[in-house]
Amino acid sequence: MNFLPLLGVEFQKIRRSGIFIILFASTVILWIPSIVNSESNFYMQAEGVSPEHNFFIQGFMAMSWFMFPASMVVGTVLVSQTERMNKGILKMLALPVGTVRLCLAKFVVLLVLSAAQVLMMTGMYYIGAAICSVTRDYDFILPPLFVMGKISILFLSAIPMLSFFWMLSVCIQTPIFSIGIGLASIVPSVLVINTKIWFAYPMSYSFFVIVAEYGKLATNLDTAQVEFVPWIPVAVVISMTCLCVSCLCFGRAERR
Amino acid sequence: MMRTFSGRRSVLPKCNGVLSGCNGILLEGRKIKRTGFFPAFFGGGILAAAVPIVNMAVRSEMYLGLQGTAIQILMDANWQMMAMLNVLLVVSGACLLYHVEHADGGLQKMRSLPIREGSVFFGKVAVMMLMCVLVLAMEAASVSFCSWHWFKGQAGGGQWRGEGGNMFAIELCKSFGYAFLLILPCVVLSFLIAEACKNMWVSLGIGVVCVFTATMLPTSSFVLSLFPFAMPFQVFAGMEAAWVTRFACAAVVEIVVLGGVERLVVRGKGAFE
Repeated sequence: MNFLPLLGVEFQKIRRSGIFIILFASTVILWIPSIVNSESNFYMQAEGVSPEHNFFIQGFMAMSWFMFPASMVVGTVLVSQTERMNKGILKMLALPVGTVRLCLAKFVVLLVLSAAQVLMMTGMYYIGAAICSVTRDYDFILPPLFVMGKISILFLSAIPMLSFFWMLSVCIQTPIFSIGIGLASIVPSVLVINTKIWFAYPMSYSFFVIVAEYGKLATNLDTAQVEFVPWIPVAVVISMTCLCVSCLCFGRAERR
Repeated sequence: MMRTFSGRRSVLPKCNGVLSGCNGILLEGRKIKRTGFFPAFFGGGILAAAVPIVNMAVRSEMYLGLQGTAIQILMDANWQMMAMLNVLLVVSGACLLYHVEHADGGLQKMRSLPIREGSVFFGKVAVMMLMCVLVLAMEAASVSFCSWHWFKGQAGGGQWRGEGGNMFAIELCKSFGYAFLLILPCVVLSFLIAEACKNMWVSLGIGVVCVFTATMLPTSSFVLSLFPFAMPFQVFAGMEAAWVTRFACAAVVEIVVLGGVERLVVRGKGAFE
């Protein structure tokens, strides 16, 4: 089976899962407080950030620190548990499909889920910004090119984290451990981004890049900036290792 | 295994309220034996207990000069993170406990046993309460270690014998007893979600969205901070007595209301399946 049809099959499996409703609900909840408290965006002179940038970046910061990683943990549970229910994975493994290919197809599903959440977040941002522009009589809407740049950085920086979560859910058969380790690993990222070794901790990447962007937009704030040299090689190594380990472990417990 | 189970079953129809409650807990305890539930809570407890110790070890100079008692300073500095870990543990634990029921139609098999349906739910809640006590006790131990190690010479954290030691113990018990009471609505609500949703990712997803909502809610509003998932983030130390009473009453009311909703959900589900 080629990779693309396999991917189609994987999407077919999660079609009725309701995951998109959960992802969408989280993005709606994210922007409601921002819209209600949009007035506070005008009192950010101390940080030196313009109201429209503040509105954008605060929302994305709230998202990238907890909800985005946590939804991805939920995504890994979805992708792995739909198969384990009714022993679906045994049937898949009996087909003439390479396990590595199957594993990668599922990982791509996870990537698409994260991209979908980032896009929903952006869509809701535009709706929220439009509402605030009307109610506060001030143009909150940022140019699409600027927003696209930021959200692509957010998405790309999440890939190492996704591969780590995917490795957890493939290698650890007991669901509570993969979920528990995944969710628990998100919490310290607030502390980790303030240290020098943030690049060794994939769960903090997306939050770190958004905080760094905030530092760039706010002239009076001095946040740590992204340094590509230790980060990119480390991130590539972490993602590659996690993906290789998950490909090797995939289906191993079932084949025993 | 088989023999003990059938032996228990023959006991069940005759037993009265208290005994059936104990049986429910025992039954639940046996179900989760191989799910990794206990080690997960133990590990989570260690992680949450490590938060104040690591925080004090890395930057104790930030906290040592502050006003207030040792517990107050430590809770203010670390409780948000510890409570977050507690809530996440509760949510994922609740998902798991109902996942083992939903997975192979276990809940339907439970219905055919001569036990009341609600006792499954309350058995699970009781197990989770025990786990919460364990986790909170570990956190309390860690907080007392921090106050002993770093705040020994300071006012409020100092004396370990006599009057001061008693006061410290009382404040610690009050703080964590309060934390236990406030986490209960969250426990009951996560079980309610986990019971209502057949798929694990749906209940986990809703739980995670709820936790996220709790972190987004403004802390200034009393009504909004009554959201069950936001309650465990409240800190007892330094709170005014009137507010403590209000939150405690709200927690009790929420537990009763959510328990009532659970009865309705069970009835509703029974009618449809």
